[in-house]
Amino acid sequence: MKIEDVVCTFCGCLCDDLVVEVENNRVISVENGCTLANEKFMGDHRLKSPIRREGNGWKALSYDDAIRETAEILLDADRPLLYGWSGTHGEAQSVGVHLAELLGAVIDNTSTVCHGPSIMAIQEVGHPGCTLGQVKNRADVIVYWGANPIDAHPRHMSRYTTYADGFFVKEAFKERKVIVVDVRKTESSAVADEFVKVERGGDYAILSALRAIVRGKRDLIPKQVAGVTREQLFRVADICINAKFGAIFFGLGLTMSPGKYKNIRNAIELTEELNRHTKFTISPMRGHWNVYGSNEVFTWITGYPYAVDFARGIAFYNPGETTSVDILKRGECDACLVVASDPGAHFPRACAEHLARIPTVQIDPHVNATTHLATLQIPVAVTGIDAEGTAYRMDGVPIRTRKLFDGTYPSDFDILGKIYEQVKEVKGS
Amino acid sequence: MRVILKTRPRAKPKIPIEAETIIPQNFLRKNDVRVYEGNKERKLEDLFYITIEGPAVSPDQVEVILTGDTGVIKRVGEYMNAGRIIVEGDIGMHCGNFMSAGEIIIRGNADSWLGREMRGGVIRCEGNAAHYCAAGYRGEKRGMRGGTVEVLGNAGDFAAEYLCGGDVLIHGNCGDLPAVEMRGGTLTIGGDCHRPCGNMTGGTCRIFGAAHQFLPTFRKNGSEEMEYAGKQHRMAVYRGDVANRGKGTVLIRT
Repeated sequence: MKIEDVVCTFCGCLCDDLVVEVENNRVISVENGCTLANEKFMGDHRLKSPIRREGNGWKALSYDDAIRETAEILLDADRPLLYGWSGTHGEAQSVGVHLAELLGAVIDNTSTVCHGPSIMAIQEVGHPGCTLGQVKNRADVIVYWGANPIDAHPRHMSRYTTYADGFFVKEAFKERKVIVVDVRKTESSAVADEFVKVERGGDYAILSALRAIVRGKRDLIPKQVAGVTREQLFRVADICINAKFGAIFFGLGLTMSPGKYKNIRNAIELTEELNRHTKFTISPMRGHWNVYGSNEVFTWITGYPYAVDFARGIAFYNPGETTSVDILKRGECDACLVVASDPGAHFPRACAEHLARIPTVQIDPHVNATTHLATLQIPVAVTGIDAEGTAYRMDGVPIRTRKLFDGTYPSDFDILGKIYEQVKEVKGS
Repeated sequence: MRVILKTRPRAKPKIPIEAETIIPQNFLRKNDVRVYEGNKERKLEDLFYITIEGPAVSPDQVEVILTGDTGVIKRVGEYMNAGRIIVEGDIGMHCGNFMSAGEIIIRGNADSWLGREMRGGVIRCEGNAAHYCAAGYRGEKRGMRGGTVEVLGNAGDFAAEYLCGGDVLIHGNCGDLPAVEMRGGTLTIGGDCHRPCGNMTGGTCRIFGAAHQFLPTFRKNGSEEMEYAGKQHRMAVYRGDVANRGKGTVLIRT
């Protein structure tokens, strides 16, 4: 059976034009998808049942036992951490936040290691953004800063920017100018009209220099700034000022290089300066398919987008203090629930070591690096394949993901709901 | 009155204690002082051996001395408005948040957000201070507004972020982006630092070591003589950050 208009649940683009063929509760082909989408839909390495670590091996256990043990671990803890959430749907994320509040836990999502700094900058100076549809139809200048979409978001250029014809941009490839700013040559820089090669850690200085140029202070700029010539900076500033509609997309090359959220703030303030001359927007290239959704859901319920600490019964937020990496590195938490992410593969070694020392429960369909650190793992359905729910695209547009067939696994929402009920029964509220 | 708080051994010593109730005025009233250990509320005596010596009739006659494993105790001295706190070792995050008067002396190192958004009083840290020393809270437009913070050792990144008033004196080195978004007040750095004063709109920053990766958006504006640590120094004067309104002053030893 062929199913059309399927939403891909891999990256923040949430491409919703895939055609997927399903046979005997298995995906057998994917059309319109990128390599990453094909791997996601065609992959077939799921954990069969819940497993518990026993000595040097693993023992299978029932879902009921796994849920009961998870609730007990979380209830016993004085500082539990609930981490992940970006690879599941909004309904499950919502249960997670309520569970954290009930437990007095810290709840954090993968923004903590990707675009958390972007959110911090937005909290300081706002977000002059727009939808990807606006970019596709209007933008004649595109800037990719510290991002390599050809590798990380393979259809971003073809659906929204470089190669996507729009209502006011009839021949995109000819009419759009693409600027790539990065510390090294990439596949994306190879298709750029202007490649700005910045010295590592030099983004903040480049952004400050561009702001000064746009403000008319060209005389102040030295011959070279962070490896970039004054002439190229003038040229880039002129391209931006003369654009009809410009869009900056930035990635982890900006959020995770020295200065972090101050880089993003500087980029937003450059965008604001450019808006004195023309229309310019700026947007983060979100990674996980529903990391934007986790920020949305956390914010609806707690007022804060990630790193929310309920230890005192009220929500407290302070990245650097209540973020997972910091909590794990300091060895603060005494139990961890990992949902729909893989900190074992992405966190610093000290954090992974602490996860291995404390009771760690993972709710995830697949065996991954975190499995090797965990005490218990509960397999679930994959949202967008055998579970459905709401996700948010990288530009904040909500999109309903679809269930392609009825599988045998419970969803994240089902499992978390049962854990919540058991915790509620003990807590009595 | 002298109140001595010595930490008791704990089963999970790395779980932070949130103790904004440890301020001199709370001991004057002999209130039922409570703190949080992780997500559990505890009585002060559950976590500390408490010794009280002598009388006091006002908070400024109260001296609180913290000893033992104090490096994970957060928020000590928050909203403090009189008296003195002496920490014999290290102290956790947010020490002296919003304090308006009184004195805090830290014999060891201070964790992040020392003197966050303080309005008055004096904090003296004899060791090093971590990130965001004398800075603001997330999204806050104004950081420290008054008083004095003195660090005898080094400070981490983002020292004096959003500084609006008061004096911050770091005798050692600073990390990345000290005085970023600075709006007023004075920051003095005895040692080296990286990328000082990004986006500053006011105030004065004096750097007596090297300013590495100094931003290109500051305009040189002469030089002047200045005294620091008993010596005269020739300082280059810059105005900026012109990426913003450019009304701050940075002085760097030549």
